[in-house]
Amino acid sequence: MLKKYFLLTAFLPLFAWGQDDLLSELEEDAGEKTTYTFATWKGTKVVNLQTNELPGKGVLQYTILHRFGAFNDDFFYNFMGLDNAQVRLTLDYSPTTWLNIGAGHTGFRKTYDVFAKYRLLRQSKGAVNMPVSVTGFSSAYYTAQRFDEEAQGFERSFGRRMSYVHELVIARKFSQNFSAQIVPTLIHTNLTERSADNNTQVAIGVAARYKITHMHAITVEWVPVLNPNSYPAGVNPADGFNNFQNALSIGMDIETGGHVFQLFVTNARGVAEPYAFSQTEGSWLDGDLHFGFNISRVFTVR
Amino acid sequence: MKKLSLLALCLSFGLSLSAQKLKTRSGYVKFFSDAPVEDITAENKQVSSIINLENGEFAFLVPINAFQFEKALMQEHFNENYMESGQYPKAIFKGKIEGYDKINLEKDGSYTLTFKGTMTIHGVEQDLAQEVKLSVKDGKLSATAEFMLKCSDYKIEIPTAKADNISNEIAITVKFDYA
Repeated sequence: MLKKYFLLTAFLPLFAWGQDDLLSELEEDAGEKTTYTFATWKGTKVVNLQTNELPGKGVLQYTILHRFGAFNDDFFYNFMGLDNAQVRLTLDYSPTTWLNIGAGHTGFRKTYDVFAKYRLLRQSKGAVNMPVSVTGFSSAYYTAQRFDEEAQGFERSFGRRMSYVHELVIARKFSQNFSAQIVPTLIHTNLTERSADNNTQVAIGVAARYKITHMHAITVEWVPVLNPNSYPAGVNPADGFNNFQNALSIGMDIETGGHVFQLFVTNARGVAEPYAFSQTEGSWLDGDLHFGFNISRVFTVR
Repeated sequence: MKKLSLLALCLSFGLSLSAQKLKTRSGYVKFFSDAPVEDITAENKQVSSIINLENGEFAFLVPINAFQFEKALMQEHFNENYMESGQYPKAIFKGKIEGYDKINLEKDGSYTLTFKGTMTIHGVEQDLAQEVKLSVKDGKLSATAEFMLKCSDYKIEIPTAKADNISNEIAITVKFDYA
């Protein structure tokens, strides 16, 4: 009797080698790997802010950015603002997975720019645990706008036409659908409109997205400037000048294969970063809003 | 004493069993979608598989994010929009090879057998029974199988707008060289 039970227990380990063990053996063999988070955002921009995303290695990206005329500026006469559209075009390329370089042109102030975007950290879990993705963005802008040197009394040299923007995008994909980021931003303008203006300004951008389907996401973006330029004291605001406003945008991302369409409403009209962040005059409260879109198209050239 | 020797016998038998398990960590899975607008191919070389020649148990595990595509954006959409690999990181098959007892590692030969079991993809379990070609060369076993899977069986949604780009029926090729 005892012998029989004993025999049974001796065979137990054999039964334990079931299929689940086969699988767990496979899992153990695979070891702990690092899983990197991907698709924190659909596009490389939210609206005016950069996202932490870069196009893949060997990918050429072309973007067309439009900001239409204001809602409160003869909206229907101007065909819903289309007749007063501001345009920006960019072309960029990723030679590696961590670097993207590009150039752009913006109609506002006849601006030409070059930029670089670089991955610093990637959100991951597993063997390496990293709570956030961090991407840097640096850009230099040259305004070719005609300048009346005689009336102004000085020459506008190359340096006096330059401005710069640096963004440090700290992003986290909290779930499949929800991502958010905080973006400390530095804006430097060599020649400001008025002598009392700050040449260097600091902004802390925040943005979030929520995916409502696989292809659609709602996005919100706000870029408060900590040291905004307001009109110097002693000047009458009744002359028609608004203090600069912080850029606030609400939009929707639509992804279709190689395109991302971003449709939104924003009070920032300048399109290029330095104008959008620090020289936005329109206020949401006054209805000084603009329809806008960013469209991107990618080509794998490698 | 007799009992002890019996126990020792049983345990050593157990050990010899585990020695009959053949594994690979560098198995290969390819899929191919043939749709009117474009063909899509992706390859995965990080598939692990195990086969137990004592009882015919057979399993393989496919890390979804290890599929490599021609275009980076395709790979992103595959993981994010279709396979939802953040939520369902692995595809798993577990089951048995029928007629496993015919396999003889001692001499070169090939066998066409059937594997049967449960395939789990995108969190959905489906019964799967397909042909597998096994071959033995110089004491090494390898397995290859080609079969079709339907996206709809595994609740992988393809929007109507993408029906011309992505086929519902996907051709799968698996290839394992066991060590």
